[in-house]
Amino acid sequence: MKRFIKITLASVALIAFSCTDLDDELEDSLTEEFSIEGVTTGGSGGSTGPLLSSYSRLRDGSAGNTGWFATQSVTSDEMAVGQKGGDWFDGGIWIQLHRHTWDAAHERIGETWNHAYGGIGEVNTALSGGNLDANQTAQARALRAYFYYRLLDTFGRVKIVTSPGEDPPQASRAEVFQFVEDELLAALGISSVTASLDLSSSPLGTEVNNYRINQYAALGLLAKLYLNAEVYTGTARYQEADWAASYIIDNSPYILCDEGCVAPNLAKRPEVDSDPETLEGYATVFAPNNENNPEIIWSIEYSSVGLGGMNFNQMTLHGPSQLTYGLDAAPWNGFQVLEEFYNSYEDGDARKEANFLVGPQTDFSGNALIDFASDDDDLQVVYTPEINELEPNSLRQSGARMKKFSFEVLGRQDMNNDYPIIRLGDVYLMRGEARARAAGDWSLSLPDVNAIRTRAGVAPLTSIDAAGFLAERGREMFQESSRRTDQIRFGTFDDVWWEKTNTDAFRSLMPIPIAQINASNGTLTQNPGY
Amino acid sequence: MKITLLKSLVVLGAFLTFGIAQAQEVSGTVSDASGPLPGASVVEKGTTNGTQTDFDGNYSLSVGNDAVLVISYIGYKSTEIAVNGQSTINVTLQEDAQALEEVVVVGYGSQAKKEITTAVTSVNVEDFNQGVVQAPAQLLQGKVAGLTVANPGGNPNQAPTIRLRGLSTVGGNQEPLVVIDGILGGSLDSVDPADIQNITVLKDGSAAAIYGSRASSGVIVITTKSGKSGQPLQVSYNGQLGVSTIANQISIMNREEFLAAGGNDLGSDTDWRDEVTQTGVAQVHNVSASGGSENMTYRVAANFRDTDGILVNSGFQQTNFRTNFTGRLFDDKLKVTVNTAFTTRDSQVGFNEALRYATSYNPTAPIFGDDAPFAFNSAQFGGYFETLGLFDSFNPVAIANQNRNDRDNTTLNYNINLDYKISDALSINVNYAKEDEKLDANQYYPTTNLWRGNALSPTRRGLANFSNFQRNFTLFETYATYTNKVSDLLNLTVTGGYSFQETDQNFNFFSLGDFPAGVDFDFSNRIQDAQDLLEGGRVQASSSRQDDDRIIRMFGRVNATFDDAIYLNAALSREGSSRFGTENQWGIFPAVAVGADLNKYLNLSNVNLLKARLGWGVTGANPPQVGLDQQIFNVQNGADGQSGAATTQAGGRAANPDLKWEEKSEINLGFEFATDRLGATLDFFTRDIRDFIILANVESSEFNGFSQRWENAGTLGVNGVEFSVNYDLIAKENLKYNTGLIFTHNKTILEENPQGDQVLGNLGAPGQNNTFVVRVKEGEEVGQIWGPVWSGELDASGTPILSDINGDGNLVTGQGSALDEDADFRVLGTGLPDFELGWTNQVKFGNWDANVFFRAVVGHSLVNSFRAFYEPIIGSQASYNFVNTDNANPNIRTAQFSDYYVEKADFLRLDNMSVGYNFDMNPDSYIKGLRLSLAGQNLFTITGYDGINPDPNLADGGSLGDLRSGPANPLVPGIERREAYFTQTTITLGLNVNF
Repeated sequence: MKRFIKITLASVALIAFSCTDLDDELEDSLTEEFSIEGVTTGGSGGSTGPLLSSYSRLRDGSAGNTGWFATQSVTSDEMAVGQKGGDWFDGGIWIQLHRHTWDAAHERIGETWNHAYGGIGEVNTALSGGNLDANQTAQARALRAYFYYRLLDTFGRVKIVTSPGEDPPQASRAEVFQFVEDELLAALGISSVTASLDLSSSPLGTEVNNYRINQYAALGLLAKLYLNAEVYTGTARYQEADWAASYIIDNSPYILCDEGCVAPNLAKRPEVDSDPETLEGYATVFAPNNENNPEIIWSIEYSSVGLGGMNFNQMTLHGPSQLTYGLDAAPWNGFQVLEEFYNSYEDGDARKEANFLVGPQTDFSGNALIDFASDDDDLQVVYTPEINELEPNSLRQSGARMKKFSFEVLGRQDMNNDYPIIRLGDVYLMRGEARARAAGDWSLSLPDVNAIRTRAGVAPLTSIDAAGFLAERGREMFQESSRRTDQIRFGTFDDVWWEKTNTDAFRSLMPIPIAQINASNGTLTQNPGY
Repeated sequence: MKITLLKSLVVLGAFLTFGIAQAQEVSGTVSDASGPLPGASVVEKGTTNGTQTDFDGNYSLSVGNDAVLVISYIGYKSTEIAVNGQSTINVTLQEDAQALEEVVVVGYGSQAKKEITTAVTSVNVEDFNQGVVQAPAQLLQGKVAGLTVANPGGNPNQAPTIRLRGLSTVGGNQEPLVVIDGILGGSLDSVDPADIQNITVLKDGSAAAIYGSRASSGVIVITTKSGKSGQPLQVSYNGQLGVSTIANQISIMNREEFLAAGGNDLGSDTDWRDEVTQTGVAQVHNVSASGGSENMTYRVAANFRDTDGILVNSGFQQTNFRTNFTGRLFDDKLKVTVNTAFTTRDSQVGFNEALRYATSYNPTAPIFGDDAPFAFNSAQFGGYFETLGLFDSFNPVAIANQNRNDRDNTTLNYNINLDYKISDALSINVNYAKEDEKLDANQYYPTTNLWRGNALSPTRRGLANFSNFQRNFTLFETYATYTNKVSDLLNLTVTGGYSFQETDQNFNFFSLGDFPAGVDFDFSNRIQDAQDLLEGGRVQASSSRQDDDRIIRMFGRVNATFDDAIYLNAALSREGSSRFGTENQWGIFPAVAVGADLNKYLNLSNVNLLKARLGWGVTGANPPQVGLDQQIFNVQNGADGQSGAATTQAGGRAANPDLKWEEKSEINLGFEFATDRLGATLDFFTRDIRDFIILANVESSEFNGFSQRWENAGTLGVNGVEFSVNYDLIAKENLKYNTGLIFTHNKTILEENPQGDQVLGNLGAPGQNNTFVVRVKEGEEVGQIWGPVWSGELDASGTPILSDINGDGNLVTGQGSALDEDADFRVLGTGLPDFELGWTNQVKFGNWDANVFFRAVVGHSLVNSFRAFYEPIIGSQASYNFVNTDNANPNIRTAQFSDYYVEKADFLRLDNMSVGYNFDMNPDSYIKGLRLSLAGQNLFTITGYDGINPDPNLADGGSLGDLRSGPANPLVPGIERREAYFTQTTITLGLNVNF
């Protein structure tokens, strides 16, 4: 017995004082980055390989009710999110965006910042991995430059981080501009944009792939950058914007999607004869099946399966419209198009039909669509261009609805449409504007403006001024997150418009998010005015 | 091991059944100095043959001729008397001063109560709350100063929130450590309240330190009932039948009021809340058998609970078995204890949302589509009516009746403990325990349900969710105790030990739907028919696993007693956790406490005890999960899974390899005073929580795109006072009246907050997202409800005009400006109370006994979410019902958060009242004891609060529609959310029978 006890005691002591092992593997999380061998099918030419994660970050906030889309669109004269009684008040954040009364704690503004740095972090991780070839490295740098372009445009003064863990000082807006320019030029393998560009030694390719950056996408970004250079740095660079845009128009395989550019209409309800079988021209560029559209140079890949984040159907449609399209889920009834903006389109403009949903609505079988909780006595859902008020009781059927990224029948909350960053129609308008501004003569923009108008089925203009150009650009670029930047460039962002009286000039820059300033130990300072 | 146990039980049973030959009858009376002793044990020595005295102290027993009777009673010296042919033996027992000294479990040993140097409260079964008590913590609600048990309302499937002395950690576990029969870390759910003999609460840091970091929020030590040496087999039955009705719900408009307010008339008159609620019925049955011989004791208990909640289709059925067995071997040198518990619980969780929608649903809407005022295709909704087109509005009856929300739990606990006395001075204890828990949850939403069954979708009707969770906890502990009388003045006890805790857990989830429409069938039992299987991206699945999550601890303690009046306890432990990075796994945690029995030197007359004690202890807290020191990655698949894959940074937070132990240090000063009839305890404590672990904002540029990571990011200070007093107002033989009062006060200050001030507690959808109502500010109290103030005026559109509080002529009330210097915001109330009171009254009169227990909580406020959302008469919300409290103002037409929706929530509640009667039984009868009782819980509440439950809401789980991925946030108390379950009043009939 004694022996038994001794042995027991000895073994107990042994276990007790030897087991101090606290190493714990994570069984359910990957702790290293892997490059994964994937199946690559031809098809839509998806963005494969080691940059997939970096490109995927573009989806964050670009086509939903958060981040970039919200800050670029709801602050402009394109659209608003009316407070519908108890719905969509949300602490006033939507009203603040519309009325230009936002502050540094605004959640949408914080998201815009964090999404951009999320992309930058992903690119920096990919670049620091050392596994990229020359072309991939060039793409990665151009993609990172685009994320910085968003920060440059929205916040101006940010930290330029080029590898994980760096904490450089906050750069001036001019320095950020310089960085974006240098990176894009480096990706293109050139030292400057000239009239006769030689891209033969560019590490970027010319192959058409909507989801990757080729030479034309990088040039498109440069055109955008130079077009806004005066805003960003005080120094105009319109000539270079013209050259970059011209190179794309003259040398690239992309076309303006016009007659003969046809795609099946995925919103066609089988039992509704008036729904067309196909879409043609402008509308196809933004349709759910736009992945191979010949006008798109570079776009963000969205998909209902795996690549979610585009939720326009939910954001803009009223609940009962679920039954028009047979959607997965009842929409949220938020985003409304401003009446004045809607009315800036003339009848017969293909873009008016493509961009908006107005009038009496029908269900999947073509019968009247009923809203039992209707605000008026008419039970049928009718979207009216007029919006009675921004708050507190914006009527639930008021306002045209944004439909440019058109809905497909039996669609899901996450839509399939790709979201263009650079497309040829935009390049035409950039070139026209750059030429006009470089020469100080708006009539120089007419050839490019009229190319766009002709495609839209409206008469060419014979004369144009800055306001006319901005209006045309607005009609073309609606819902493409361009309006805020355009209004700032044209000096109308601090104008007064519907339900908006604030004219603070400093609001052309967003405030640095307060949470970031607090976390920065004084290394980030706030933009003027906030 | 289990088989061995089973064998011993079988042998034991056989032994008990056959008994032993008997020859002679003995009877008599057992008494003490003041009279007869009921319940004393009379046993024939060396056998299991025995009985207990009845209410009058009488017994009668058949024994062998040469038998020796052993007569014993707790607190008295047991007496042995040889029968020697006598037929009547009367015994007077002598009080045993030694035994009377209450012993308190202090962790890896026990101490005489008088030697305790820390804040410890022990509550015995007699003092527990009465009635149907579903969760052990509720036995103590209001009974222990400093212990807050926040009632979940009437939801039988929601455990109460337990909090000791306010906040003890921010990111870590707020719930006290539970120790069941010496096994730490077990689940409270594995003990049936009916099996509990005693609950001891270790409140302060120096008391808890010996249990390590898991005790940072205090310790609740549960001792279950057990057999006693020499006690004959005793079989008891305890049964309860409880009936619950709604105690309180928020007032809403009826049909007439709603129409008068401009509501849309849908032609019917429906009391939605009546339709989704019912009278709750609870049955509890507890059967136990216990006893013991000289060398062993045993107790076997079975518990059955069957409860229907007040929400229709909610409730649970629980079965719990518990066995305790103790044997002594080798001349009592080795004590072997084997305990097992098996719990299985089938819960019908139901949907609290039915209660919320019942509050906001149009009171003129019909339940069924056939009664709609217009043509309505109700077939697609299984016959129910639905208000199509209205955001966040669903037929509550359809929610409650069409859908199913089941959760099945199984928990198995077993442990073996060996305690070996090597010599009188040295003993060694080895303990091995396991707790295996399995949980299966299943929700089914049929194709005809609009709410989550997506009945309107042509592509995704019907949904079935499946999840299962498994957790295995292993505990191995060993310690040695050395006791030495160094001199006449000095006694020394030294304890040293090792503790190993390991948790393995895994979780699986999948969800799919799109079942054949128009078929009335539960497709969750036949998911192969889901069309989601045929379409990409529809089936959702996820899994997680965490094995080898360990805590390892080495500890030592010295207890010294000088002059039998001055006590010193000192403990030191070194503890490691696998949740930290390799550099920061180990921490060292000290504790010291001294106490002195002052009366030994003062010799005050009529005073039995006057003790002062002072303690200091440091404990640690763990991060909430493993691996926070490492960056983790996800696989990013391409579209349709056909265009490649890559890894991408994931986890939503950056890695923090420097994350280290959160440290809590606490100083406690206490005084205890007792006379024959009065007992009082007073404790002061102050606590600092340093380097608390929290998900902090970081610069996304520096942290590779992440804007958050877990950091040691601040200091909290808690100060408090606890006072309890007990007095025997009447102490006559046939009439006893004892009354007791406890008082709890504590205040939590956020002393350092490097990440800057914040507003938290988003009210949520619809329309009040980004409306944060609680301020978190450095240097201020935790739980400040923060917002603008309504001036009492309305503008033309019925929007409240807010006040220019600071009078600067500039109205700054935007939510984003909430923390600006010129903001017109102020503290609208505090979410945490100033103090809590519990007032107990116990009366014994003859065979009758009665308990009346009041509880009051004072000084806290609540954000009344129901009012904030549904009270304003919003024009475009004419299809939702309105809340209609005393505060309702029909002219307010905009939902705008302000002080108007923050209410003082002080209350006084008759929490518990019971009356019992003990029948006098003939000692010869088959039934030895019989008791009937009637108890009421939550009988009435006096409060000015207009919401559902004025109880403080200690932590916030987030607004509706949030995924609620994280734990409730303790920095955000004071919000009553809309999913609050209605409170209930329960009347219980109880029956106890001893055989």
